[in-house]
Amino acid sequence: MYNVSKTYPNGVKALVDVTLKIERGEFVFLMGHSGAGKSTFIKLLMREELPTRGQIFVASRSVLRMKASDIPLLRRSIGVVFQDFKLLENKTVRENVAFAMQVVGASPSQIKTRVEETIRMVGLQGKEESFPSQLSGGEQQRVGIARAIVNHPLIVIADEPTGNLDVETSWEIMDLLSEINRKGTTVIMATHAQDIVRRMHKRVVYLEKGKVVSDSVGEIA
Amino acid sequence: MNWSTIKYFLREARISLARNRLLSLATATTVSICIFILGMAILLFMNSGELIEKLESDVEIVAFLDEDLTLRERNQLEERLKKHPGVLSVSFVSRDKALASLEKKLGQGEYDLLATLEGNNPLPDSFRIKGENPRQVEQLAKELAGMQGISKLRYGQEVVRQLFAATRWVRIISVFIVVFLGAAAVFLVATTIRLTIFSRRKEIYIMKLVGATNRFIRAPFFLEGIALAGAGTVFALICLYLGYHYLLENIQPALAFLPLINDDRVLLNLFLGLGGAGIGLGIIGTFISVNRFLNV
Repeated sequence: MYNVSKTYPNGVKALVDVTLKIERGEFVFLMGHSGAGKSTFIKLLMREELPTRGQIFVASRSVLRMKASDIPLLRRSIGVVFQDFKLLENKTVRENVAFAMQVVGASPSQIKTRVEETIRMVGLQGKEESFPSQLSGGEQQRVGIARAIVNHPLIVIADEPTGNLDVETSWEIMDLLSEINRKGTTVIMATHAQDIVRRMHKRVVYLEKGKVVSDSVGEIA
Repeated sequence: MNWSTIKYFLREARISLARNRLLSLATATTVSICIFILGMAILLFMNSGELIEKLESDVEIVAFLDEDLTLRERNQLEERLKKHPGVLSVSFVSRDKALASLEKKLGQGEYDLLATLEGNNPLPDSFRIKGENPRQVEQLAKELAGMQGISKLRYGQEVVRQLFAATRWVRIISVFIVVFLGAAAVFLVATTIRLTIFSRRKEIYIMKLVGATNRFIRAPFFLEGIALAGAGTVFALICLYLGYHYLLENIQPALAFLPLINDDRVLLNLFLGLGGAGIGLGIIGTFISVNRFLNV
């Protein structure tokens, strides 16, 4: 990400001249107060929004110069985990995870094996036929993570994944994200949780009013 | 695209049709009415066209001859008429024959017309002339009017002209009704699809995030639009078919002079065309909503 600025049509300067490089396989925390630009950062990576200025590369491909028909391919290389999980209430755990593969046109046999594998990995065996409303918050977030990684993305973006969870459950989710990171996936996590950031001892990018004010390992400005 | 993807599209379309049942019904009904009226209008055009053609081919010029024409002059006139460009055929009707046919028309020999007229036949000899092109009868009549030996010309163009005027109005009014209903159908399809898009926006957002292609996201909506329009169209075509057959079987015998079209191939083409138009309405309606409300 080079010299990226984003000003919304209503005049809000969400990001100001941000230059940032995240290596493959890194684990990066994105911190800052509400409105510091964390969400914009994520939206730019997903190409939900285009920057007002600057260049963004994901896996050495320019997000800006990308053809519209290539945007789905970009998004397939990124898995997203949300604070509010964003699961489909009328679908079971298995269907929620399979959905992500269905929409990219995977074959039924591929879907079956990958979904089984992923559900096992996030520790939800036995809950495959449950609906989201029957699960605890932590379990729902595991479904969200399973959905994010089922297509083998290069990058997992987690937007406050522990924001709605208690401390203990939060750590379970962090363990899961660490494990995903150990297997080679880049993890970018936006969060407010300072204790988690301290104990994880990973790179921390701190945003304030759209600017990077600190970028160091294990420290919070 | 594999079979499971297609199954997925079909399932999604079915679910959302069931979810907005009332609106779906309204949409299908509007498409149905639109196609039905369009079909009726087209059948009306086709049949009135047929009728005009039949009436036109009956149109002939009657040229009344001067009283004092000799046989030789008459024969010369007949030759000249036959050679005139645009004339198809000429046949001579003597005054006696004309009186006999008038008698027949009036009372089929029940009373003696000649006696009533005190032995004087007031009718002149005449030629019945058919033109090559019935639409140019008026022109032809003007050309022939000046010929020597002809006292008066008459032709039944007036009937044809009125019929033309009437069918033109039918056509204009039908076009308005069809355009209006078509717009209503497109609007309703668009509204139905828009509601579906709103009720599923979370799902659509997730689909976008996990990298579904635009085409993939749109496909169920198009299926839904086509299903709605298709159902309406099929219903309209069934009604139209039954109605027209009822007409052919029950009204045709009573009004034998009306030449109703009963050619299966013509009717099949009409129905195929109407079917295409119905599906077209569905596709246009869906397209409008998908482009305006599905920000993919």
